[in-house]
Amino acid sequence: MVIRAERVRRRYGETAALDGVSLSVGTGTVFVLAGPNGAGKTTLIRALTGTTRVDGTVELFGKPPSEVSGERIGLLPQEFAPADRLTARELVAYYGGLHEESRDTDTVLEDVGLTETADTHYEDLSGGQKRRVCVGTALVNDPELLVLDEPTTGVDPAGRHELWGVIEGLAERGTTVVLTTHYMAEAERLADRVGLLADGRLVALGSPAELLERHGGADRLVVAVDDQGAATRALERAGYHVLPDERHLAVGVGPEEIPAVVETLADAGVDCERLTWRQPDLEDVYLALAGVDVDPQELSEPEAVRA
Amino acid sequence: MSRAGRVAAETRAAWYAFVRRRTAVFFTFFFPVIIILIFGALVRTDPTGGGLFTEPPGYYVAGYLAVVVLFTPLSRVGSEVARHRDGNRFEKLATTPLSRAEWLLAQMLVNVAVVGLAAVLVFGLVVAVTGAGVAASPLVVPYLVAGVALFCGLGAVLGRVADSQDGVIAAANGVALPLLFLSRTFVPPELLPAWFRPVVALSPLTYFARGLRAATFRPPGTLATYRTGDALVGTDPTLNLAVLAALAVGFFAAGALAVPTTN
Repeated sequence: MVIRAERVRRRYGETAALDGVSLSVGTGTVFVLAGPNGAGKTTLIRALTGTTRVDGTVELFGKPPSEVSGERIGLLPQEFAPADRLTARELVAYYGGLHEESRDTDTVLEDVGLTETADTHYEDLSGGQKRRVCVGTALVNDPELLVLDEPTTGVDPAGRHELWGVIEGLAERGTTVVLTTHYMAEAERLADRVGLLADGRLVALGSPAELLERHGGADRLVVAVDDQGAATRALERAGYHVLPDERHLAVGVGPEEIPAVVETLADAGVDCERLTWRQPDLEDVYLALAGVDVDPQELSEPEAVRA
Repeated sequence: MSRAGRVAAETRAAWYAFVRRRTAVFFTFFFPVIIILIFGALVRTDPTGGGLFTEPPGYYVAGYLAVVVLFTPLSRVGSEVARHRDGNRFEKLATTPLSRAEWLLAQMLVNVAVVGLAAVLVFGLVVAVTGAGVAASPLVVPYLVAGVALFCGLGAVLGRVADSQDGVIAAANGVALPLLFLSRTFVPPELLPAWFRPVVALSPLTYFARGLRAATFRPPGTLATYRTGDALVGTDPTLNLAVLAALAVGFFAAGALAVPTTN
């Protein structure tokens, strides 16, 4: 077991940033912490890396974090901003120089896709390139445990895919990875296990498939209509399960039933403006458990993050 | 990587981060230059008359050096602590083998280099502008190192206490200006009220200025350097250096403890 946390609590004044969080992360696992802003993700990352004091028990490799050698950990803090007049190459070499053994600087730069801009000052890089340099500084000591707090925030889709590939490669080589993200597609692609934090509590924990099964809900057809009341009555009369939703009509059906739904609405004189069928994904789990109220029609739109 | 290797890596990064800030580099060296030009060339000293500058030009060399030893490490290290905190860099460093003392040592080495260059500039400029009589003393080096270590430590404490880079600059100025003028740098103790003179001994900069002056200032018409027997350790350069070194160890240790391990 690489990480074991039991009943971890942290308060800032009256606010409970962490309220009894317990989790464990096994060797070679990619563990993704998801949750809205202020849920406690960064505080939990700091608790796991020993950079903040908490009540409860936290162990890395069977020891308190303060007793674990920095050689075994690679950390990318949230909103990390290294010296801005150093080049990408100098920054990776600098952080490598703080460790007993480090990976070849050029190889790390290649891994994070910065070979072409290796000699550019950090301040002159784009937002995504900066984040990739920061990820490189966390990889440079080839850590057993890699902790990344929002590693792909601000990174464009292509750069995000490159970083995902890097993380997957590290996981294949046995590196344990803990990362936080707002992007559920990232969690779905990378995670062996997902922990969902809300208001300082771990409200769900499991593999993406387990979370979808437990909390994802049914496949649904979201229908934009001119008369929602008439449409609801018509569908319920025909025996369809109309899902509760205040702004749109959502029907729990599979794709093969879409023509019948459309026909039922047409028979009732209701005009369909738009139909979207979708399966539940981790975003639905996130929204359901984190208590976030989002327009499901918006959710069904293709997003850059789902690339 | 060994301890030396870690300190070397941190020193290299801190050096590049400093020298690539052209404005910071320019004003680091411009500050002592403008002080010398104002005090040495415009106001000028008047050994025969009254007023603030009553001593020969060489008397003030220790004061000019005190300016760079005081302001450069204090403001640089304080700002660096604030910059590191703002960028969550301490959080990352806490998960590397680099210790807080090693981090501060690296900052100190950069400041020793910067202050050393500034000292050469000060010596050259003072001699060229004022014709001051200055004795070359090997004690200048340990004085500069001890002074830099001391004010790096104090800078780290200020950086820890202040909650922003602006706060660090304000705090550094608030600490440095009284020290600068009440530490036997530019104002001889005779010009201060008798009741206040013992307070001067509380300033660490007093030991720097008094000892360095004793080691380097050669009063006109004499071959000996400047020595008098006042105060606790007199003006013996070795004794003043010993006090300064002891204070430097204490301030450096306090500074190392003050360097944050988290944000």
